[in-house]
Amino acid sequence: MIGTLLAIARKDLIMFFRYPINAVFRIVEPIMWLTPAFFLGRGFSVDGTATGFAAYTGTGDFFSFILLGSLLGAYISAVFWGIGYSLKMEMDSGVLESNWMTPVPRLAFLVGRTLTSLVVTTLNCTGVLLASWLLFGFSAGGPVGKAMLITLPMLAGLYGFGFAFAGLVLLMRDANTLVDVSSFLVGELSGRGFPVTVLPRALMVISLVLPTTYGFDAVRALLLGTKPLLPLGVAAVVLVGFMVAMLVLGGMAFSAIERVCRARGTLGMH
Amino acid sequence: MGILKRVRDGLGIMLAVAVKELIQFRRYPSWVIAVFIWPLLFPMMSVFSARALAGPEGQALHAFAALSGTTDYTGYIIVGLVMWMWLNMTLWTLGSFMRSEQMRGTLEATWLCPVSRLGVLLGATCSQLLISMVNLTVSLIAFRYIWGFRIVGNLGLTALLFILSAAAVYGLGIAFASLVMWVKEANAMVFLVRGLFMVFCGMTYPLAVLPGWMRIVSRGLPLTYSIDGIRAVALAGAGLADVMGHIAALAAFAVVTLVAGFVAFRWTERRVLRTGALGHY
Repeated sequence: MIGTLLAIARKDLIMFFRYPINAVFRIVEPIMWLTPAFFLGRGFSVDGTATGFAAYTGTGDFFSFILLGSLLGAYISAVFWGIGYSLKMEMDSGVLESNWMTPVPRLAFLVGRTLTSLVVTTLNCTGVLLASWLLFGFSAGGPVGKAMLITLPMLAGLYGFGFAFAGLVLLMRDANTLVDVSSFLVGELSGRGFPVTVLPRALMVISLVLPTTYGFDAVRALLLGTKPLLPLGVAAVVLVGFMVAMLVLGGMAFSAIERVCRARGTLGMH
Repeated sequence: MGILKRVRDGLGIMLAVAVKELIQFRRYPSWVIAVFIWPLLFPMMSVFSARALAGPEGQALHAFAALSGTTDYTGYIIVGLVMWMWLNMTLWTLGSFMRSEQMRGTLEATWLCPVSRLGVLLGATCSQLLISMVNLTVSLIAFRYIWGFRIVGNLGLTALLFILSAAAVYGLGIAFASLVMWVKEANAMVFLVRGLFMVFCGMTYPLAVLPGWMRIVSRGLPLTYSIDGIRAVALAGAGLADVMGHIAALAAFAVVTLVAGFVAFRWTERRVLRTGALGHY
């Protein structure tokens, strides 16, 4: 089983590095999105401090706030595109049916892809952090280990959710817009680029229902000293609950949808 | 008579390609949905970030107004986003048009037809123009009712600046399509070019916050003049005399980029035929 997972992960890594321009752009593109945010922050700053932003969040360092949001948001995108959409790519390439003929549990394909996705996204995030340090003078303070610890259940829960989402994509077959819009909305409503307290009431309700909101919030509270929405202990319990629920439900949903697709004979259609 | 026939044939192929592209577009409902849904969602991040930066009591608005000349950050950001979205759609459509044909293996067959190749590209441009107009209309309605965006200045002058900007953007798009055929990589090229415009053109922020060297680069990009000119007219009610410089700059950019686009296309066309790389990907 572990051999299978590693084989799938290795295959995906080889494919990723076979397109070096794309690999480089996975680091360059986030910087291009972060740069306007950096200058937007300067547009509202007095003597380098975003005073209005500080009144909302407790920190005047808008760029670090948005950088951390962007890094955590990268994992959300990875789940939607790398996991949720991965089966669609196999469908398009015409290899899904032959892969699934092999005597390997179907969920192993997704777990294998998850490993690659985690490695690649972490490498990208490291590159973005390095570039942000060089270009924008970003430096992290606070308990980094604790912040990483609180991120782990959020990531595990997200990837569990990705399994269910992969099932949905399998069912829909043409799902670019679904993936694109879902990824964008979950990222934005979790507070990737702003504190969720600025949202209109209806949107804030949705935002506060998303467990990822508390993950983003807790990491920023630990590293930047922002005012948290929930005490950190409570946020950690919410995230662990999210992880358990999503891993179980995501796996079950994927298996159920996969059976439906096999019964309908739509696996190879696109 | 010969010229008339060539023009008629050219228009015929443009129309045929445009219709073919629109049929293909309609066959994927999710593409159609995307045209309607993104204008509603796209301003979210920048506008809510700006709202947070302004502060709960608007305490940082004076800092923004000192640099931008307005406290209406929503309208300010929306004008920048509209122009950038137009550029983004043009680059994706024209860049991926040739590339998709290359990857599907239909480009060589299409180019063997006794029709103008430029007409083929211009046909794709026409269908893209129509889709972008729908997108723009939806955007303006969504911005009006969701974000409270209003054009307070002269509508005709705003339209003139927009048309000149669109001409410059299509010139860039045609040159870009040639570049993609040459480099054989559409995605990365779109990310690079649209990213440069995003960083340098003041899409969401006043150019006054940029370091000196970045401001010099920004003056070499047409979208800088589009965004600045349309903001001045649509949001602050500037008149013709106030934006004459912007109009002149955009007209010059339109001529230069369109000529450069056509020259680049002709050059690439000859090059791929000579090297036999037309069908390579």
